[in-house]
Amino acid sequence: MILVLCSLFAVAALAPVFFAGMGRNAFYVLAAAPAAAFVWLIFQYPAAYGQGLTEHVDWIPELQLDLTFRMDPLSWVMCLLVLGVGALVLAYCARYFKDKDANLGSFGAQLLAFAGAMFGLVTADDLILMFVFWELTTILSYLLIGYARARISARRSALTALIVTTAGGLTMLIGLIMLAQLTGTSRVSGLLERAPALLAAHDGAAMAALNVAVVLVLVGAITKSALVPFHFWLPGAMAAPTPVSAYLHAAAMVKAGIYLVARLAPGLSGADSWLPVILTLGLATMLVGGYRALRQKDIKLILAFGTVSQLGFLTMVVGLGTPEAALAGLGLLLAHGLFKAALFLVVGIIDHQTGTRDVGKLSGVFRSSRALGVVAVVAAASMAGIPPLAGFVAKESVFTAFVEWAGEAGHAPWGPVVLAGMVLGSILTFAYSARFIWGAFAMKPGVPPTPFKPIRFSFLAAPALLAVLSVVYGVWPAPVDSWIQPYAALFAAGAPGDAGGHGGTSAGHLELWHGVTPALGLTAVTFLVGSLLVWGRDAVSRFQSSLPKIPEADKAYQNVIGALDDVAVWVTGRTQRGSLFFYLVVILAVAVAVPVGVLLWNGKPIPSKLYWIDPGSPLQWLIGLGIVVGAFGAVKANKRFMAVLFVSVTGYGMALIFALQSAPDLALTQMLVETVALVAFVLAMRRLPPELRDRTGGRYRVIRVVLGLAFGAAMVVFALFAADARVATPISLDFPKLAYEQGGGLNVVNVTLVDLRAWDTFGEISVLALAATGVASLIFVRSIGHSLGRSAGVETGSVGRVAKQPTGSLAAAALATARRFGASPSTVGGVRRNPWLVAGRTLAPERRSILFEVVTRLIFHTMVVFSVYLLFAGHNLPGGGFAGGLMAGMALTIRYLAGGRFELAEALRMSPGLVLGLGLALAAVSGLAPFLLGGNVFQAAILHFTLPVFGDVKFVTSTFFDIGVYLVVIGLVLDVLRGFGAQIDVELEEESEVAAR
Amino acid sequence: MNLAHLAPLAVLLPILGAALAFTLIRHPRAQRAVSVTVLSLTLTLESLLLASSWDGGTTAVRLGAWFPPFGIVMVVDAFSSLMLVVSSAVSLCVLIYASAQGASESGYDGPVSIFHPSYLILIAGVSNAFLSGDLFNLYVGFEILLTASYVLMTLGGTEQRIRAGVTYVVVSVVSSLLFLIAIAMIYASTGTVNMADLAGKLAQLDPGIQTLLHVMLLVAFGIKAAVFPLSFWLPDSYPTAPAPVTAVFAGLLTKVGVYAMVRTETLLFPGDTLNQPLMIVALLTMVVGILGAVAQNDIKRLLSFTLVSHIGYMVFGLALGSAAGLGAAVFYVAHHITIQTSLFLVAGLIELRAGSSSLDRLGGLGKLSPLLAVLFFVPAMNLAGIPPFSGFLGKLGLLQAGVAQGTGLAMVLVVGGVLASLLTLLAIARVWNRAFWRTTDDAEDPAPELLATGAAARRLMPRGMVAPTAALVVFGVALTVFAGPLFGVADRSAAQMLNRDAYIHAVLGQQAVVPAVPGAPAAEGGAR
Repeated sequence: MILVLCSLFAVAALAPVFFAGMGRNAFYVLAAAPAAAFVWLIFQYPAAYGQGLTEHVDWIPELQLDLTFRMDPLSWVMCLLVLGVGALVLAYCARYFKDKDANLGSFGAQLLAFAGAMFGLVTADDLILMFVFWELTTILSYLLIGYARARISARRSALTALIVTTAGGLTMLIGLIMLAQLTGTSRVSGLLERAPALLAAHDGAAMAALNVAVVLVLVGAITKSALVPFHFWLPGAMAAPTPVSAYLHAAAMVKAGIYLVARLAPGLSGADSWLPVILTLGLATMLVGGYRALRQKDIKLILAFGTVSQLGFLTMVVGLGTPEAALAGLGLLLAHGLFKAALFLVVGIIDHQTGTRDVGKLSGVFRSSRALGVVAVVAAASMAGIPPLAGFVAKESVFTAFVEWAGEAGHAPWGPVVLAGMVLGSILTFAYSARFIWGAFAMKPGVPPTPFKPIRFSFLAAPALLAVLSVVYGVWPAPVDSWIQPYAALFAAGAPGDAGGHGGTSAGHLELWHGVTPALGLTAVTFLVGSLLVWGRDAVSRFQSSLPKIPEADKAYQNVIGALDDVAVWVTGRTQRGSLFFYLVVILAVAVAVPVGVLLWNGKPIPSKLYWIDPGSPLQWLIGLGIVVGAFGAVKANKRFMAVLFVSVTGYGMALIFALQSAPDLALTQMLVETVALVAFVLAMRRLPPELRDRTGGRYRVIRVVLGLAFGAAMVVFALFAADARVATPISLDFPKLAYEQGGGLNVVNVTLVDLRAWDTFGEISVLALAATGVASLIFVRSIGHSLGRSAGVETGSVGRVAKQPTGSLAAAALATARRFGASPSTVGGVRRNPWLVAGRTLAPERRSILFEVVTRLIFHTMVVFSVYLLFAGHNLPGGGFAGGLMAGMALTIRYLAGGRFELAEALRMSPGLVLGLGLALAAVSGLAPFLLGGNVFQAAILHFTLPVFGDVKFVTSTFFDIGVYLVVIGLVLDVLRGFGAQIDVELEEESEVAAR
Repeated sequence: MNLAHLAPLAVLLPILGAALAFTLIRHPRAQRAVSVTVLSLTLTLESLLLASSWDGGTTAVRLGAWFPPFGIVMVVDAFSSLMLVVSSAVSLCVLIYASAQGASESGYDGPVSIFHPSYLILIAGVSNAFLSGDLFNLYVGFEILLTASYVLMTLGGTEQRIRAGVTYVVVSVVSSLLFLIAIAMIYASTGTVNMADLAGKLAQLDPGIQTLLHVMLLVAFGIKAAVFPLSFWLPDSYPTAPAPVTAVFAGLLTKVGVYAMVRTETLLFPGDTLNQPLMIVALLTMVVGILGAVAQNDIKRLLSFTLVSHIGYMVFGLALGSAAGLGAAVFYVAHHITIQTSLFLVAGLIELRAGSSSLDRLGGLGKLSPLLAVLFFVPAMNLAGIPPFSGFLGKLGLLQAGVAQGTGLAMVLVVGGVLASLLTLLAIARVWNRAFWRTTDDAEDPAPELLATGAAARRLMPRGMVAPTAALVVFGVALTVFAGPLFGVADRSAAQMLNRDAYIHAVLGQQAVVPAVPGAPAAEGGAR
């Protein structure tokens, strides 16, 4: 079976290739696949009716989802229909479609794949596997309905069908999972064996769960088989090409729901919730479908609503759970497949040859093509249940089964009601069958005969064969009977399927002549009243239009989807405000409320042994106060610059606190960080408006204030609780010892950074490198060159010249003097030399500060040397690569501030990217090297050796890593200076030039 | 040698590559070669890690040879290595896609020059977060990937990206701050940040304080994972980034948050204290998220909402607290990384081919590019949970676990999960109906690209971008074909995480005591 399945899918996958080469005749190739499978199926008869044919491949044992297939009588009968009709419909397609259609390749592939999915569905012996194929058929149906994708109605119908059947399918999935867990197996065969015992046990909770599961599964069947109230998708699906309608929406896919009912009935029809659902909805569907079929003007829609009606009928019969009904049900299912597929194919031919399906326009088609007419009449007669055709045979045994069932004690009063409804449904069926023939073929008064192109035999072959089969089945039902008997026997008394206890001993037989029975009487009534309806069809039609319009389920669906869209828009509008403020409020509120809620819920008292200030260091009071003032100042400041200054007050305050807590290393680093950050801020701020808009006012002021205070207060409280709860000693107490003994350093902080937790530092320097380049990328985003260039070619005193000269007065005179001073470089040996800073001469005189240049000249090298000292001393004393790098960065900052952007280029002639890259690479290599030497990543070694001048040296290899850190930090500062500094300089100058012009 | 000891290289190599890329900032081709090579190497290496932990082996790698709880450890187990392999495979495809796009879009000194180092560092951060066995180092991992994401998010510095970038950066910084505060609180009460050590020491704390610390961490991770109601920022920021960047963010970043939540829930705070609230949160995430998707008119925004919604599935599995639920969640994470990324890449292709990602302006793509249609349809159906694709399988596992739990709340979640699945299908099918099925004539104000024909149209589908997308789609299908073994390893990793023995013993040694899970029967074999 798996092989057959794979071959069907494989041929489907190759379909586009065939179509590319052969045009529409490729459909014959495709048809050969299910035809071959059909032949294979015939040969499987003995196996299927013997032990049953089982194949199994493990897929996902964890989900109890395995590829288990089983061919038993029910599957075999279903396969006959699926493969047989599939082959005929595919062959029919070869004449239905035109060669030039570009989408035929994918269409053919989908149609054949559908046949494969259907085959898988009816042979799967695993509930979940069956669901897999179930959904595949849904998706393929969606794609096939959407074949006429250019039409909005086709797209919409396809979507409706998809959503309705998937909604049902997912509901069913829950039910299937519940069933599998209740019975402990996901095997269909195993489930059917165990379910009756579960039903017999009368365990309250399990029983309730089982009933719920049954209803959920039935919802899937109901939606798939288009039962009320989900029937509306099926007429919509008629937007599909007619062969698709014939196959999917008449013969095969919509039968999936019926199949599911038939499959589960032997085990579950005894559940309390089973029969009420099946009979109520089945009957309602049969009547609604029949009634609406009588009103249709499109012959395809007559068939569509007829199909809806018949599906309701079939569901009732198949779901009843008696041997007679089981026999009759499958008999009817086969008969329906034969006549309905034939009728749809006939509609396809009429549509193809005349271009219309409208009852009012079609006229005299029978005269144009008698062969077609005969085929249609035979099929329609079978649908109406006229002897000696398949429909009659099946319907007779249905009536027999229901008469018997309705007569049983315990089924009153509903039994007779169901029976009466069924007869009424049959009457409607008779009437719309006649209406179809009349509508499609009759000569209508006042309507000219419809032009009809002659049809080729190959086009008519498929429906004709189906019609012939309807006759054969009707005249000689014995083979069909023998195929179904083993299935019906499952319901016989004493068989596992007889859980409901209503099984008879024998299912009877499908026969053309039963003798004079109550069933025959009901058939007679059907014909009689049906003929009356046909005879008085104008009156019926008037009566139907005089009735108030019943609200259509289709409308209800559209309303549900509309409401869904409204809800979606409403919810999304509420939550997705597009406002950062709103998102932050939500996040912070959650961050405060949830932990506070936890504390309150647990009824925690505030810890008692808390102290606010380190008693050994009263200065903390003062610094703490300063930090608080800084924080408030930052909030209240209305100038950007002031706000930044206040923020750095808090930062320097933190540095002081570190210093007071005897953490000089942290204090040093924090100070340097604050300073660099402040410089960066100030440089960047030149491009920002100086005023801060009023952040403290506005509508949300109260929210801001409350949330801000609450967050701060809550974090303090949490910290109190957290610190109070400590039970173990912190690991950091061991750090000094570890740092010295194994890290080879006295500075715990530095050893922690470069050795103990070097991995953290390594990560953080990559963050630094990236942050630097990220900032630079934003600033340089529009500039062509990254390079600052050299100062040599720059005109003296040209950089940063104030465009508008102050006129008159003292200022102008002072400026003129300054220009003269600045513009007379001392030239030694033809090379321009600047006494102080190399590029200082490039600056406009009014930008220069002699004092600053002098000081810079004096301290620059000192700072660089000091930074190197910090780098190497760091292992034992305050310092380290980070602090050292910052110090070097500060030196560069001073050079830039004093000498301008060309001075920066002279000070360090490497691109920041290179510095960052080298630093990062050095750090990475220093981590990698020990690993390559057989140790752990970032494992440090302590080397002792003697150098001529320095004497005994104790060198820890983690220093290499620290050098990497040092370089990265320098690169960062360089990037900031070039971005926020130099590049903004250039932009400001360009703008002022433009403004001056 | 145990292959798991290669783990640090999964972080080191990308950073080394980034360092090289920095120095090669003026040589885009060399940069591309470096990053593709490095990521391929990393992927190979991570596959070895996965092989080493496939059967449940758990290895702790001591960085700098320092013993825990003092030094930092990396822990290689089935979950972390599975995440590594999937994320690297996905990010390699995205990298190739992005390189092709970059090559066609901009020259020197454009955003591309920093794309490669940023991207590699992003991957390093993600890998670090997956591997870290140390809470503070996990924070560092987050910082690495977030900083990289800030840079990538604002590539090109257009006004729209800067605006979205501000939302993204501020929210992310707040989440980092909350994470850092939570770490500080945890350190204050336990005096350690090593996660295995924390597992033992947190258990000794007062249960109320445990829950306090627990929710603080969850809130921080919840923002990163985009869990309702901490998720609103995501659809406002992701879609504006360049397509490959959105793709990799959508695939990886939220999953790192989910990963952190899983580790927190299983290793640090086992037991069912917060399972019920988490289930409610999962439900709201699924439903509110997917309603957002239904309301969208732009493919990229729509996909951002499905992303949020499907995070709910993972939280669902986690909140169930059962091995089955957790296993399904692990599988779902692997699935979702792949599929969501594929779809964003396809959305990028659509944008390129049709000049827009707004559904109003799309039409006829099925006819214009059948290949694009297939590339969209397969992962789209996968996302919508259509069988037999992995999205269905993951969901099936979650539903089975939910039904097995059987409580009222679990059943509500099952229904919510099914509903979210259906609405995902609705949203996706609408995209299909409009962008692919209807004709270009139906598109409002179609972009010139959409109307292009012949050679011009072919240029709009660069092979260098289509190929990696196709590769990723195939990878997604492979997750379905090999779902059996994959589910096996997911289930094993779930069982392992719930048991905790392997993790704690690997880090702290065999004699370490594994504390009993509150509310559960005493775990056997504390000291074997």
